[in-house]
Amino acid sequence: MKKYLRVWWKMSSMSLMAQVSHPLGSLGFFLGKIVRVAFFFAFIIAIFRHVKSLAGYSLEETALFFLTFNIVDISAQILFRGIYNARRAVTEGDFDFYLIQPCPALFRLSLTTFDFLDALTLLPVLGVTLGILHHLSASIFSLRLLLYLLLTLNAVAIASSFHIFVAGLAVRTQELENTIWIYRDIMFMGRFPIEVYGPMFQLVLTFVVPIAVMTTFPVRAFLGLLSWEWIAYSFFLSITLLGFSFWFWENSVRQYTSSSS
Amino acid sequence: MNAISVNSLQKEYQVFNRKPGLWGSLGSVFWREWNNIKAVDSISFQIGEGELVGFLGANGAGKTTTLKILSGLLTPTSGSVEILGFKPWRREREFQKRISLVMGQRTQLWWEIPAQETFRLNQAVYGLSDKDYQESLGELVEMLELKDYLAVPVKKLSLGQRMRAELAAALLHRPKILLLDEPTLGLDVVMQKKVREFILDYNKRWKASILLTSHNMDDLTALCRRVLILEKGKLIYDGNLEGLVRRYAENKIIRIVFDGDVPASQIAAIGGTVDSQKTSMWVSVPRAEISKKAALLLSSFPVADLTIEEPSVDEIVRKIFSKS
Amino acid sequence: MKKYLRAYLISLQETLQRRSSFVMDRLGGIAVMLSLYYFWKTLLWGHPSFLGYSYSQMLTYVLGMNILRSFALTGRGWELVGEISSGKISSYLVRPMNYHGYALALDLSQKTVHLFAALLEIGALLIFFHPPFYWPKSITAFFLFVGALMMASLLFFFLEFLVSSLAFWTSESGGPLFFFEIFIQFAAGAFFPLNVLPRLIQKGLSFSPFPYLVFLPINIYLGRVSRGQALQDLFISGVWAVVFGAASVWVWRKGLSIYSAEGG
Repeated sequence: MKKYLRVWWKMSSMSLMAQVSHPLGSLGFFLGKIVRVAFFFAFIIAIFRHVKSLAGYSLEETALFFLTFNIVDISAQILFRGIYNARRAVTEGDFDFYLIQPCPALFRLSLTTFDFLDALTLLPVLGVTLGILHHLSASIFSLRLLLYLLLTLNAVAIASSFHIFVAGLAVRTQELENTIWIYRDIMFMGRFPIEVYGPMFQLVLTFVVPIAVMTTFPVRAFLGLLSWEWIAYSFFLSITLLGFSFWFWENSVRQYTSSSS
Repeated sequence: MNAISVNSLQKEYQVFNRKPGLWGSLGSVFWREWNNIKAVDSISFQIGEGELVGFLGANGAGKTTTLKILSGLLTPTSGSVEILGFKPWRREREFQKRISLVMGQRTQLWWEIPAQETFRLNQAVYGLSDKDYQESLGELVEMLELKDYLAVPVKKLSLGQRMRAELAAALLHRPKILLLDEPTLGLDVVMQKKVREFILDYNKRWKASILLTSHNMDDLTALCRRVLILEKGKLIYDGNLEGLVRRYAENKIIRIVFDGDVPASQIAAIGGTVDSQKTSMWVSVPRAEISKKAALLLSSFPVADLTIEEPSVDEIVRKIFSKS
Repeated sequence: MKKYLRAYLISLQETLQRRSSFVMDRLGGIAVMLSLYYFWKTLLWGHPSFLGYSYSQMLTYVLGMNILRSFALTGRGWELVGEISSGKISSYLVRPMNYHGYALALDLSQKTVHLFAALLEIGALLIFFHPPFYWPKSITAFFLFVGALMMASLLFFFLEFLVSSLAFWTSESGGPLFFFEIFIQFAAGAFFPLNVLPRLIQKGLSFSPFPYLVFLPINIYLGRVSRGQALQDLFISGVWAVVFGAASVWVWRKGLSIYSAEGG
């Protein structure tokens, strides 16, 4: 464990050094991310100057959905930034070095380019979220808050499973660098509570591409609107998906080491 | 004791016919059409501790595949490989700490930052204590003359400097087994020499077993007493360089220095290929006919000097490469 | 002229051949369109209008956004950044043609394909979801919209070219372009009509070229802008296009001189 922390720390500081070597470029990425969160947030606030509710939710509640989406989204990006370069790592041979060195390849691949700037964008999001959570509930420590935290972590686990799956695809096929963008594009829908979408989409977003489980369920649980069946479903889903994605990853590496040239 | 022991190793690739487009590639995740290609065909060899062995063969003969199997990147189809008692493809941590693979055209160094950062990362990856790390680093920096380049971003290094830094990164954990794939590729002559001296030095100092592939004859003659030659996946030769010459040289070379001018065409009538340079000529003659032809040359022309030579290793190997 | 037409046609085929990245681009656009379509549909439920937009106008705004995103807000910025940082750009510069013209030809071919895809998507949405669609009140409004669309496209081309050229200075990084892409989608009204924003920000944006990219063209289509005003907007966006055209050529030359001084 301590060794992994050291490897992670070293890799993170190295990617920070690499970023600092072209400051203008890094500043662009950082500001872009901040602007995206800030503008949408401003948009939601602006909307509520004209209406009282969105699909039955108040401003604070709607904001909480949006913020939860961002927490999940940014966390997954922090943890799996390297996956966006997985195909390149495989075709250019970096992945071969990961495989022959005494440190798990998936760990190296995902955390290779940990981004401090990403972590920095998470801070204001967490701050505002805490404020709203405090505003919406009488006591800070409650079962609902605990459920919210657990389900948010659960959402990060589901996001992780997608990323691991995509990493497996990259290793297996050495193509499909775009697959991760499908995930990112569809995730766009997670910015709003799924009640916004039609009934058919709600079903799809709950069972097929479980964005609802990732971004809507934690907030619903916090608001006391989620039954225990759905909570159980959420945890069941993340465990299944994580299990599958790890299996798929292992299997892909095995394929790689027995068929690639 | 053998450091590396390979027995009837086979590797078949299953190459699948890629289908174009997104759906084609998505589909290929689940079902594919396979073609079998035998990259390595039942080869066996042993390499002892501290031995430095050259690995020869034309492109696609199976060298890189074998190196990848030995390093644990590929799983063999059949046969056995044992390195220091480990099976490489299990990629056990203890095994990984004892080997290293350097590929001439690939780098593990981070591009935008100084090489010493990658060294530090490898310290963490291989779990080296600060003391071991400093000691090992100091030694490598001295042997490879890297002192002035440690703090320079890798992208600003010349190819030769980068290769030396690459070697340092690969050897910080003092592997007992070193696999080198074209380590002098693209380097200038001076740099090639430095890299070769280093490899020899490392081999002597740590009694490390080294297996290297190269297209550069100078590498092999300077470094390897023993060579393995692969042709189309089969091991066709395992022995020293001199033996290679004896076995594969069908002809000997007669070198003649004439008194005055002799037209090359007249000599060609007697021997095989003729190479001429003013008054000196080289005539290639089959081994069996060597004394007969030499006598004929001596009696027919004004010869000032005549010597009989073996063809150079370089030529032999080039011939082997060009054959396949 | 002929060589640019040739470049246009070749690039057209290329765009169609790289289906997977094309499909990916479209999926992103569809997700945005669907999300916002449903968002406004839910929000306007039970309201006759919002900020002066009728129900059908607002939903048509979302569909129009897809058209504008596809035709005006697409370009080859990332390719250009890649070509600059890999040094591939020099292979174009030795050819006897104007790089801006060449890039515009390639851009137009991409825009063409994306426009058709966007029209198809909207067609499908109209068939399956039967949204209340706002048809333009007059043929003039429609042609003014087409004019604004063309202008927006040209203006975006120059803006993106300008920002991508910064890669000459940022050494192998598309950071500025990333920021630009995100910022412009908000500032141009490609996520929501700018009327939503506080008055002060609206005022500020009206002095910038951004609203001419998405917000104003759609408002012209929706007949929320008088004919005189629309003509004036077209004129102003033309002025912006000239200004940024000149700026992008200037920055490009500046960047090239740095580039050649350093030897790539």
